[in-house]
Amino acid sequence: MEALIVSNVLLWGLLVALAFVVMGLVRQIGVLHGRLAPAGALMVDKGVAVNDPAPKVTAADRKGRPVNFGYPGEKSQLLFFLSPTCPICKSLLPAIKSIAKQQSDRIEVVYVSDGDMEAQQALIAEYELESATYVVGPEVGMTYQIGKLPYAALIDKAGVLRAKGLVNSREHLDSLFETEHLGSATLQQYLNQHDHAHSHH
Amino acid sequence: MQPDPIYVVAAALALAVILGSAATHKLRSPIRFANQVEDYRLLPGALVRPVSRLLPWLEMAVAFTLLVPVSRHVGGIAAALLLALYAGAIAINLWRGRHDLDCGCAGPDQAQPIRAVLLARNAVLVGLALVASLAPDNRGLGVFDLFVVIAASAVVLFLYAAADGLMANGPRLLKLVGR
Repeated sequence: MEALIVSNVLLWGLLVALAFVVMGLVRQIGVLHGRLAPAGALMVDKGVAVNDPAPKVTAADRKGRPVNFGYPGEKSQLLFFLSPTCPICKSLLPAIKSIAKQQSDRIEVVYVSDGDMEAQQALIAEYELESATYVVGPEVGMTYQIGKLPYAALIDKAGVLRAKGLVNSREHLDSLFETEHLGSATLQQYLNQHDHAHSHH
Repeated sequence: MQPDPIYVVAAALALAVILGSAATHKLRSPIRFANQVEDYRLLPGALVRPVSRLLPWLEMAVAFTLLVPVSRHVGGIAAALLLALYAGAIAINLWRGRHDLDCGCAGPDQAQPIRAVLLARNAVLVGLALVASLAPDNRGLGVFDLFVVIAASAVVLFLYAAADGLMANGPRLLKLVGR
């Protein structure tokens, strides 16, 4: 009898705990749903249209070497616009670096920043970007009309802007390559076209 | 045969907490709730304000009567009627084809459109209220019985919160998978 009561108390306790955990999980899923809603890189409708030739501009990188943007070349260019004062930019740097490493045969990653040179040096040292192409100056950002950071733009070998957008996560970055592949300006646009195509049938 | 008091008391306790929490949400944002009552489009304009003022207090009173053993039977029946009334309001609006209406069931965090599954939820709650309204067997409750009552109603409440959360997530999940 004693053993049964003990086992019952224990079971009730564990059942309450289990139900509590299930409730917690459901709440967390709810929060995730709230965060997930705008999927894909958010397109800020300014500047050059996607699938148009990218504006040609030349700027000196931090070592004084000229860097060409928007010219036909051997590799695609991924422009990553960042600032040392933007925490999300920093959180994306590892993802950008891994893309630069994995796709070094077809993509040249160019970091574009502006502002205080000392802060840039500190950022470069912290994220080991000494060997990367790192441009400091307002010209490129103004040409491409970048209003929000972190922003990324993908220019293909022929100098055509293939994708661009505000990137807040690794998924957003990946969605740039996805849109390049699909040929739409943004993933949202592709999905909408897809929906329309379905509704016409 | 009369049911064991554990079932009755546990059902009453769980239902009292559910009604009490629903009432506090409504009391905390009275304007929001009045708009929701108006959105249901069941009452003439002049009655919307008084009814939206009265409903939370009614829920509170029912919750309280459920907790007192003497009035538990009346409380259970009142709760069943109230929940059936809500289900009826949802059913009428579903029948009118209004699927975009916010249920207004459990506060601003759990906003969800009205759907048939909410009718099923209310049916379960009505069942709980009817159990609470039964006259229990007259055996005295010991310490262990009280423990079981509290534990069982805690499990019911957590599961109710989880099920409510799942129902609120449902439409968002459908949006996500694109159906």
